[in-house]
Amino acid sequence: MANAKLWGLKKSPWVFHVAAASCNNCDIEILDILTPRWDVERFGILLVGSARHADALLVTGVLNRKSLPRVLRVYEQTPKPCLVIGVGSCTCHSHIFEPSYNVVGPYDKYIPVDVYIPGCPPKPEAIIMGVVKALKRL
Amino acid sequence: MKKEYSKEILDEISKKFPEVSIKIYAPRRIYIRISREKVFDFAEFLFKEKDFRLSIATGIDTRDGMEILYHFSHDESGTYYTIKTLIPKDDLKIKSLATFLPAANWIEREIHELLGVDFVGHPNLKPLLTAETWPADLHPLRRDYADEHKDIKISKKPQETL
Repeated sequence: MANAKLWGLKKSPWVFHVAAASCNNCDIEILDILTPRWDVERFGILLVGSARHADALLVTGVLNRKSLPRVLRVYEQTPKPCLVIGVGSCTCHSHIFEPSYNVVGPYDKYIPVDVYIPGCPPKPEAIIMGVVKALKRL
Repeated sequence: MKKEYSKEILDEISKKFPEVSIKIYAPRRIYIRISREKVFDFAEFLFKEKDFRLSIATGIDTRDGMEILYHFSHDESGTYYTIKTLIPKDDLKIKSLATFLPAANWIEREIHELLGVDFVGHPNLKPLLTAETWPADLHPLRRDYADEHKDIKISKKPQETL
């Protein structure tokens, strides 16, 4: 535990959801983990409305020529240090969209991603496990 | 009212536009093939006189030419009437419907940038979906398109568009 700021982040990570042109399935699964059945607020994980309040970014979808500048702008506005969690197979690689004319390549070419959660879409349990693994690494 | 196409409307269509060919694909799905010069008048007739609504348009690059399909919905009977027209590839021009039909505005912009069809009379034919750095004469959904996007610069700064 070298960084006190990271230690503070671990207690209750506030999460901002960045939908970079996903097909909405991952977004719906992210909404699921806020419902009473999975209820991630018991771990202190809270969805916030602005990247300026966030400790972690949940990114979904394939980066494309239009969404890349927007994602970079949101990432620049997030206070550092921050976690970046890629939800869905689209963030791990470009998935089936790789040969498309609009796809610009994987996330880690542009921003550092701490954890990838594969699945199309990943189960809510998998998303929670991914966040827990990201926090354990700190 | 029964949920299927109405014979009266089809009769009126074939009386007013005798050259169209009507295909009844299903009770609630009608295809109407028409020449591209008549599309404007025909769509105006459906929209203004018969209370049809434009759902969406489709552009397809076929072997015989660019095919544009305007999908009109008749909400009263729950029926879709699709206007099909074929544009020759050496003269990709069609009269725009956006002058009287706001619903056609964005989809015609999209077909214009992705397939390169020129909609004559369109009020605002700027690119809608492709990136700001994308060249205007490159149409990615055409059949002869091959990986030309590899050399196009990726912009990291957003620019105001719309």
